[in-house]
Amino acid sequence: MIELRNLTKRYGQTLAVDNLSLDIPSGEIFGFLGPNGAGKTTTIRMMMGLLQPTAGIVRLGGHDLHRQPLAAKQLCGFVPDRPHVYEKLTGAEFLDFAAGLYHLSAELRDGRRDHLLALFDLTGWCDELIESYSHGMKQRLVMAAALIHAPRILIVDEPMVGLDPRGTRLLKQIFRTLASEGVTVFMSTHSLETAEETCDRIGIINQGRMIALGTLDELRRQDDRHLDSKLETIFLSLTGGLDAHDMVGGSRA
Amino acid sequence: MANAELAQTPWLPVSAEPQRRGPWHDARLLLSPRAQSIRNRFHRLTRGGRVRLALLAALALTVGGAVFVFFYRALSYFAAVPEFGTVLTYKLLSMVFITFFSILLFSNIVTALSTFFLSRDLDRLVAAPVSARCFFYARFTETVIDSSWMMLLFAAPAFLAYGVVHSTGPGFYVMAILTLPPFLVIPAALGVTITTVLVNVFPARRTKDILVLLSVFAVALLYLLFRLLRPERLVNPEGFADFSSFLSAMQTPEWMFLPSTWATEVLFPLLGLRNGQPAYFYLLLATTAAVALMAGETVLGRLYLPGWSKAQEGRQARLTQRPLAALLLAALTAPFPPQMRLIMIKEVKTFFRDTSQWSQLILLLALVVVYVYNFSVLPLRGSPLVTFYFKNVIAFVNLALAAFVTAAVAVRFVYPSFSIEGRAFWVLKTAPVSLRRLWWAKFWVGVVPLLVLGETLVLATNTYLQVMPFMFWLAGGTLLAMVLTIVALGLAIGAAYPNFDADNAAQIAAGSGGLVYMILCLAFIGTVVVLEAWPVYVLFTSRLGGLPLSAGAWSGIITSLTAVAALNLAVFLGSVRYGLRRLEAIEM
Repeated sequence: MIELRNLTKRYGQTLAVDNLSLDIPSGEIFGFLGPNGAGKTTTIRMMMGLLQPTAGIVRLGGHDLHRQPLAAKQLCGFVPDRPHVYEKLTGAEFLDFAAGLYHLSAELRDGRRDHLLALFDLTGWCDELIESYSHGMKQRLVMAAALIHAPRILIVDEPMVGLDPRGTRLLKQIFRTLASEGVTVFMSTHSLETAEETCDRIGIINQGRMIALGTLDELRRQDDRHLDSKLETIFLSLTGGLDAHDMVGGSRA
Repeated sequence: MANAELAQTPWLPVSAEPQRRGPWHDARLLLSPRAQSIRNRFHRLTRGGRVRLALLAALALTVGGAVFVFFYRALSYFAAVPEFGTVLTYKLLSMVFITFFSILLFSNIVTALSTFFLSRDLDRLVAAPVSARCFFYARFTETVIDSSWMMLLFAAPAFLAYGVVHSTGPGFYVMAILTLPPFLVIPAALGVTITTVLVNVFPARRTKDILVLLSVFAVALLYLLFRLLRPERLVNPEGFADFSSFLSAMQTPEWMFLPSTWATEVLFPLLGLRNGQPAYFYLLLATTAAVALMAGETVLGRLYLPGWSKAQEGRQARLTQRPLAALLLAALTAPFPPQMRLIMIKEVKTFFRDTSQWSQLILLLALVVVYVYNFSVLPLRGSPLVTFYFKNVIAFVNLALAAFVTAAVAVRFVYPSFSIEGRAFWVLKTAPVSLRRLWWAKFWVGVVPLLVLGETLVLATNTYLQVMPFMFWLAGGTLLAMVLTIVALGLAIGAAYPNFDADNAAQIAAGSGGLVYMILCLAFIGTVVVLEAWPVYVLFTSRLGGLPLSAGAWSGIITSLTAVAALNLAVFLGSVRYGLRRLEAIEM
């Protein structure tokens, strides 16, 4: 459902994403992990057409994003890392707007809007201007907007940031339900616990390169030392985060 | 890592005794991010930034120079008028201070709303262990600087002119400098106090809306009043018929309780024109400033937190959620495809819910009224020949003027169209909406109001002027084509210079892209005017002489008008192509 071929992005001399290739089938929840500045958001932005790749191809549902952008985007729901939205629209108006962009009929739109507002606990706020929403509420609204057209692919960048435990749990349940219905979920996150709990497969990116890819068990088997380890240990071992402990010790020597 | 381990790490103290320092030190600390930001911005200026800064400095110097010349000439003239000159010199100084005081009071109310209640860093400051006193003085200093720096640009050359014309000693300049701090502090303290009370009555966001609206109304009203008073009549000798009553009105004393009067009374005696008690009035000014400052601090200490809490409240959309407004919007956008309709309705709604945007329409209305009114009072009585000549020449000049006004409005409303999407542009960029559709939605939203504006200016004034039918339709038709092109050009340049981080449309328009757009518009309008000048001239002279047009003249006219149409089409299509390409290239 999601196909990345030799995806590369270069900012001047800096190689942000380096020759990334990936296939994600329907109904899979894919966790995209990596330290800060590894290239996660750049990859996601290229997948949604917000950034133009220096090289490589993005195919969503079989549609080349570069050649058939509208058909590719029609299949996707997107939740960016920061929930910037039209502050002067109300929550309900924003959802109607999003539905209209994806060609939903009025009847379908009204039903889904009301359902999603209730699901994300926003019904009481739907006639308030978005400028008065909290960060978490905006995050939930953007998630509702991403789901309103029943996408086949959901791409989410740091979905848990700013959400309360209830919102986090709700989101995990939504991801699982969507996946069971054949929706592909591509999620970047710093929450290793969420990734461990929710994702079918995990990809770890560091300095623009995919350094590990597979199920949690497959990742564990890549190194004998981590057969019983948690994802955090594997992640830190692969990305060099475990060194921090030595660095702290060394500075006191 | 365990806490105990961390505690042993010299560069990671787990807990440290907070260092207590004086309130002034803390106030300076609170001001330091602003000062550092300015310093950093200055040190990291790009080449373009340096050029902009140099241009701004040149502009400031020019404005300052113009103010100096104005005051120098006026004061030199007054100095040459025996007796009455002294009254005029005093009145001018008094007017300067009272005008500054009123502007400062208003500007401080608006600025205090931002610095004390709406600024983005307030969350952090209110949550930090900062004393109320140090918070007040830090924010007060920012308020005074933000609201008063512009006034200094005008005050400094004005006072310099007073000193030069009256050949005062250094005492005058020293006192002028010493008078400014208390004179600036009083309206600032009053402004902060008024704002704090207002925010406790209305939520801050509503207060801001109300203030924006009031200020726009005030400017529009002043502009209208000034124009409708017809100041040009003052140069008419008939205007001096009531001179004695004018003189007596001039000699009435000022209201002695105004700080502006005290400031005038500090400086005027130092000009050597009459005696006075500058020390007494300076003390009045200084003590009032101190009391106002303390009163402001007390009011803020008591009312800040409840007001701050109210400032967090949101508001509902009113007008644009009414069924009638929704119906009207649906009807107006009915001819367009569904996605375009959606974007157009979104544009209109967000425009009318942003007070800083829609309130500009009031200014525009005032501009149109004055523009048309100016034509109604033109002295067009005289011989029919002269009248015919004047009317048609003015009608032609009017075409260029109306196009320029349209471009000036477009730079504020059309050029920022894409940038104003801000960081929410991802919504459209990631949706299955073709950029072409987005482009045309923005185009029609911009073109319709601008056409109404431009055609009103041209057709209403030409109706007043009763120009020849050819001129009437030529002006209307040319402006129609020019507005379409100006809007397309605005969108193209707007897409080429996106600024998604700006706080408002005015800030976007003031950027380098706005300048480029205005220069291109001027060049375009100028070329159209030059191309049309010849056919208008030929027709005009034939009508004046009562002679029929030759075949050669007709072919020349047709060639010129075809060139105008071709130029419009080329710039229009070029803008659409270039703009779409740039829009495609926007990365987020």
